[in-house]
Amino acid sequence: MKVSCFQENLAKGLSIVGRAVSSRSTLPVLGNILLEAKDNQLRLAATNLEIGVNCWIGARVDDEGAVTVPARLLAEFVNSLPAERIDLELSVRTQTLHLQCARYEANIKGIDAAEFPIIPTVDNGEGPEETAVVLEGSTIALETGGLRKMIDQVIFAAATDESRPTLTGVEVSFKGDRLAMAATDGYRLSVRSVELDQPFAEDLTVIVPARSLGELGRVIADADDEKPVQVTVTQARNQILFRVWGKGTETRGAFHQVDVVSQLIDARYPDYRAIVPKNHTTRTVVPTDSLLKAVKVAQLFARDNANIVRLGIQPGNGDGPGTLQLAAVSTEMGDNVNQLDAMVEGDDLEITFNARYLIDVLSQISEPQVVIETTQSNRPGTIRPVGMGTEEFLHVVMPMHPPR
Amino acid sequence: MSAQLRKILHFDLDAFFCAVEEQHNPALRGLPFAVGGRPDQRGVVASCSYAARMTGVHSAMPMSQALRLCPELVIVDSRMGNYGAVSRQVMAILHELTPLVEQLSIDEAFLDVTGRAEDPLSLARSLQNRVREELGLPASLGVATNKLVAKIATDVGKAAVRSGDYPRSIQVVPPGEEAAFLAPLPVDALWGVGPKTAERLAALNIHTIGDIAAASAAEMAERFGKNGRDLHRRAQGIDDREIVTEREAKSISQETTFVADVADGEVLRRVVAEQAGQVARRLGREKMAARTVTLKLRWPDFTTITRQMTGEQPVASGEEITRLALQLLTDNRPTHQPVRLIGVGVSGLGPAEDGMGVRQMSIWDLPTDPAQQAKADRLNDAVQALRKRFGEDAVRRGSEMG
Repeated sequence: MKVSCFQENLAKGLSIVGRAVSSRSTLPVLGNILLEAKDNQLRLAATNLEIGVNCWIGARVDDEGAVTVPARLLAEFVNSLPAERIDLELSVRTQTLHLQCARYEANIKGIDAAEFPIIPTVDNGEGPEETAVVLEGSTIALETGGLRKMIDQVIFAAATDESRPTLTGVEVSFKGDRLAMAATDGYRLSVRSVELDQPFAEDLTVIVPARSLGELGRVIADADDEKPVQVTVTQARNQILFRVWGKGTETRGAFHQVDVVSQLIDARYPDYRAIVPKNHTTRTVVPTDSLLKAVKVAQLFARDNANIVRLGIQPGNGDGPGTLQLAAVSTEMGDNVNQLDAMVEGDDLEITFNARYLIDVLSQISEPQVVIETTQSNRPGTIRPVGMGTEEFLHVVMPMHPPR
Repeated sequence: MSAQLRKILHFDLDAFFCAVEEQHNPALRGLPFAVGGRPDQRGVVASCSYAARMTGVHSAMPMSQALRLCPELVIVDSRMGNYGAVSRQVMAILHELTPLVEQLSIDEAFLDVTGRAEDPLSLARSLQNRVREELGLPASLGVATNKLVAKIATDVGKAAVRSGDYPRSIQVVPPGEEAAFLAPLPVDALWGVGPKTAERLAALNIHTIGDIAAASAAEMAERFGKNGRDLHRRAQGIDDREIVTEREAKSISQETTFVADVADGEVLRRVVAEQAGQVARRLGREKMAARTVTLKLRWPDFTTITRQMTGEQPVASGEEITRLALQLLTDNRPTHQPVRLIGVGVSGLGPAEDGMGVRQMSIWDLPTDPAQQAKADRLNDAVQALRKRFGEDAVRRGSEMG
């Protein structure tokens, strides 16, 4: 193998695949990154067996070939190099990769590429000639920016606690011409749904690990927004593949194409529809920014006290607007009360929430106003941007409450 | 139990928050000032200087009321984060004297110095001096043979100093003189006597702790139930409670060594569930919840592994602890691997609820059937109404009764 590429492109590619490297695996090769030079592209790949990432960057290939080298050493070395051309050459006999960039030179000992697990890909006729196993399944194209926003608005609600493996996933369902994503950790629930340009080949529901969607979200941040993300679900319904197009081989610090392949969680997602409140008795509308700011201030005091923030909702009397008051108490350090003008319809109410949960959802709303719908202090509240219906954006958050 | 007399110190920093603020702003020295929230925001007094106390201001008083009592009162905003760090330095000094330290709050602790040869008064003096010299903080101590009397001794010692400066008192109650020391004090100096009980005692012409001690135990038990019996004992200055150190309080575990190694997964799961239930009951008695659940496994060759898992929210119930522990068992025991010892533990303990009894509700708490939900809502409304009228303790769940 003999190949050259720009330092910025290799560094970018390594940062993308690096997050899929197994940090602690019994298989040493999983701590490595695969480099494969072929068809004037350099493919970088890593997997922890739950998620696999293939990333193609532009390169000049003089001699095709492949090797795997320790991920961390390679990434740290490449990140330290000047933004110039890097020449890589493999000594096949010793499986040692020689790297040279400006006046820096290194030899990194590798493991034979044949020992690296195969990371499947899809053949859409546009990519580089496929070298790995090709997945068969149904494919749909999704608008890049919209997909990223949807992921961001949902994954924070997934469980990080491994004791409920199903809840560490996001339920992704294609039904008719709609795509919905839902996540819950048992304390809050986030559901987003969008209309598709064309329906998916068939109605289907899968559970994708939230970690995999998180990785996808990070890759999309560097994608070419003009080109949609291609999503393929295997016929066996055990894997999902996202193909993301980058800003091409000519742009510095960009990638050509990335495949994120993830195992699916084989389980039944709990039926969250049952807990979605059907009605409300108090409806509060406030500016998103002011509310987020007030909650963040309250959290300074609440963080020592289980993040407890008490919301006092008061409808307006006569001409004056209603108010939303946020109060937090730290037994050790003091207390804080913040008040906002709010449009309140319905009954007054005192209800207590975890400040972090409010911050999590409000941070993901870019619309100027939010609506909070509540009934009682021991019943869930819903939060969504003004202008969106619950069928599009649904966030349910459980209150904090005295023991039942 | 052996009749060795214990030596217990009660250590209490004098107007802790104020003393810390004075270090940062020496101009406050001698002034009547209070640390706490602003009066126009319904702030309360977190701590007040002894000059302010002379005017009748006390902690937990609304700031607006404090200002009426003492118009020249200087209000100092509580400086965030610092008190905790200073408190840790103080507690570190206490721990140098003995590992048997029970921290009661940010500025208060019990120490068991029974094992030290020195006379407890000189130990109290040296602690007081060290905290003043190293951290510049004033402290008062009570010395007695048990926690109850030591704590009251501190209060009595502090109250005797009315100079307007920090009391820096040390009050010793020699062994055998506990009842005599308590006798002249008003009943509400005793732990467990709130305004309601004090009123009921007054109706019986019982005004001092000595009056309680003089009453018959049977009469107290008859009128006040179990609390009456305890009150009668305490009024004699009797208190057997041990020092509960942080280490003991910080983890609870239950383990079983099998007579013969067990390879049957079903048996292991049953044992784990039982252990989790025992751990949950102990947590419940302490009104604690745990952040982390630990599973300990020992294989027949004596290799021992401990694996832990931290949930999203603190856990307290047997079901929650069982769920996490079983997950750990599934993840860490190869199928058919025989087990010699298995144990469930919890750590990262904190109060199960804040002062108001608030905890994060889960989606699974919700009844899914509408009729059941309406019933639960009505019950909740009724409970809230009762609590509003009669106080937080008026109504409890059967499961909360111990």
